[in-house]
Amino acid sequence: MRPTLVVAILLMTAAVSAQGRATQAPVSTARADAPIDLTGQWVAIISEDWRWRMITPPKGDIVSIPLSLQGQQTAEAWDPGKDEAAGEQCKAYGAPGLMRGPIRMRISWQDDNTLKLETDYGIQTRLLRFGTATSAGPRSWQGITSAQWIVRGGGGRGAPRFGSLKTITDNLRPGYLRKNGVPYSERTRFTEHWDVHSLPNGDKYLVNTNIVEDPVYLQAPFQTAIHYKLERDTSKWDPTPCDARF
Amino acid sequence: MGSDAMRRTILTTTVCSLLWLMSTPAFAQVELGGTYAIRMYEDYIERGPGSFLGDFTGMPMSEEGRAKALRYSSSLPSMIERQCLAQSPWVGLYRPLAIRIWSEVDESGRVVAWVMGGDYLRDTVRIWMDGRPHPSANAWHSPSGFTTGHWEGDTLVARTTHVKTAWIRRGVGIPGSDQSTFTVFITRRENLLTIMTVQEDPIYLTEPHVVSRVWEFDPRASQGPLRDTCNVGVEIPSLEDTGEVAHYLPGQNPEEDYMVRTYNIPKEAAMGFAHTLYPEYRKTLRSIYTPPASCGRYCCGWIERQGLPGAAPGLTCNDGNLPAELRKAITGNGR
Repeated sequence: MRPTLVVAILLMTAAVSAQGRATQAPVSTARADAPIDLTGQWVAIISEDWRWRMITPPKGDIVSIPLSLQGQQTAEAWDPGKDEAAGEQCKAYGAPGLMRGPIRMRISWQDDNTLKLETDYGIQTRLLRFGTATSAGPRSWQGITSAQWIVRGGGGRGAPRFGSLKTITDNLRPGYLRKNGVPYSERTRFTEHWDVHSLPNGDKYLVNTNIVEDPVYLQAPFQTAIHYKLERDTSKWDPTPCDARF
Repeated sequence: MGSDAMRRTILTTTVCSLLWLMSTPAFAQVELGGTYAIRMYEDYIERGPGSFLGDFTGMPMSEEGRAKALRYSSSLPSMIERQCLAQSPWVGLYRPLAIRIWSEVDESGRVVAWVMGGDYLRDTVRIWMDGRPHPSANAWHSPSGFTTGHWEGDTLVARTTHVKTAWIRRGVGIPGSDQSTFTVFITRRENLLTIMTVQEDPIYLTEPHVVSRVWEFDPRASQGPLRDTCNVGVEIPSLEDTGEVAHYLPGQNPEEDYMVRTYNIPKEAAMGFAHTLYPEYRKTLRSIYTPPASCGRYCCGWIERQGLPGAAPGLTCNDGNLPAELRKAITGNGR
C-alpha cells in the first residue's frame, strides 16, 4: 500500500473514532477535572431588581415571585422583630436568598472534592461537595449541596474543554427569598447551573441560573439568572453580619 | 522514500488533516431551535407595565445618557420618527417577550445562521455562524445590527455591532447609541434558556450594562405568528407636522424625583450612577434609607401579567394598580 494512502486511512479512522468518543476522561478528583475555574472573588452586579436586592422593600411587595396563597399570607405576616427575638436574623441569608443578595463571594477549594463559597454579606459559607453524598444532619441556612461538573469538549487533539457546574441544595432551614419575608419552606430544592463567560478584554462573568422549587410557598418554579463579575482587586471585601431589617 | 514521495505524503497528510478538522463537529453544539416562554421573575415592572418615569436604578449611565433620558416624555414614543426606538431587536431581550429560535442551513445541512425572532414589532436577529467578518465601521446600521457567533461549549457566543439608536429600558427613555455593541451568551440547558447580554456603549454608559434572563422551552409554541416590522402611525395628531418634539427641558422633568419621593431611595441611585450597582453602596443606603409604609403599585405583578384572572389561584394580593371592581372580580372581595 502506498504510504500516502496509509496515512490517509489512519487519519480518517482517527477522525471517525474521535467523533464517536465520549468527551469525559476519567480523573481522580473534582479539582483536577474542573472544566472551568470558579475560584476567586466575585461581586454581584445589581443591574436587575435593584429595589428588591439592594434595599429591603416594604412588607407585602412580592412582585415577580410566583408565590402560592400560603406564601403570600406568610409574606404579609413578616415581622423582623420577631425574627430577631428568635435569633433568626439570617433567614434571608440561606442559599436561595443569599445568592440573589448584594454579595461578594470568594470561591476556593477546601479540598480536592469540595468547593467553598464564602460571602461577606451575612458572613455565610456554602460547601459544594462533589462525589459521595454527605449525611444530612440538621437543617441549616445553607443546607447540603451536591455538585457535579458538566464537561464538554476536551475530546483529544488538544481540543478546548468547556463545561459548567450543576449543584443541588436541600436540607435547608426555612428562610426568605427576599429580605421582606417572602418565604421558602424546608421542602425547598435549590438547583443551580454555574457558567463562566469571558469577554475579549479579559473580563469574566459568572452566571448562576437557578431554580427554586418549593411545594409549600411557590406555585411554580422560581427561575432566575444572577450574574457576578470577577474582581482582581479584592479590597472591597466587607464582612457584615446578618441583619433582619436592612 | 524519495523526495517526491515525501512531498506527496506531507501534502496528503495536510489535506487530510484539514478535511478531518472541517468534518469534526464543533464542540457540543446545542439544538437551540424552538419557542421559549418568558419568565417574568426578574424586573417585572420594567418588562411588564414599564418602569416608572425617572427610574434609572441599576443602570451605569453617563452624564449624556442621563441628560437625554431626563428629557424623555411619555408623548415622545407617539411621534412617528420615534415609535420604533423601543423596538430594537436586541433590546427585546430586556423586554417581556417570548423568543423563537431557528437555524438556517446550507445545502449540506451545515448551520449558517441562528435566527432569533422576538415577538411583535421587532425584526429578527440573524447570528451568522459561517465565519464571515463584520462589515466596515462605516457600513449601514440596521435595527438588528450585524451579528456573528461561535460556540463555547454549550454556549453560543454572539457579538453584535452596527445597531441603531434605541431606548434600552422600557418606558423611561434611557438611550443606547448606535455605537453600542452587544456580547450575548446564549445557553440552553434542558428546558431552560439563559441569555446574558453585555451591552457596551461609549456614549451613554460608563461601564457595560449586564443583564441575565431566563426563558423556558415552550413545546406548544404558543408565541404566535411573528410580525417582524415596526409599523408607525399617527397616534397624537397634534404632534404631527407641527415641528414640535415632546420633551422636558433640562431640570424641568417633574418625575425626576419620583423614585425619591415614592420609594425613599437616594437620587443618585434613581439616576443611574454606576457606583450604586455594587454592594458597597449599601453603606450609603444604610444611613439614609427607610422603607416606604406600603408597597404602592405593582406589588404582586406576577399574577397580573401571567393571565387574568386567577393565574395564581386564590391569591388575594392587592396589586395596587387594578381598579377595585377588577380586583373584586379576581379575588371575590376586592381587597
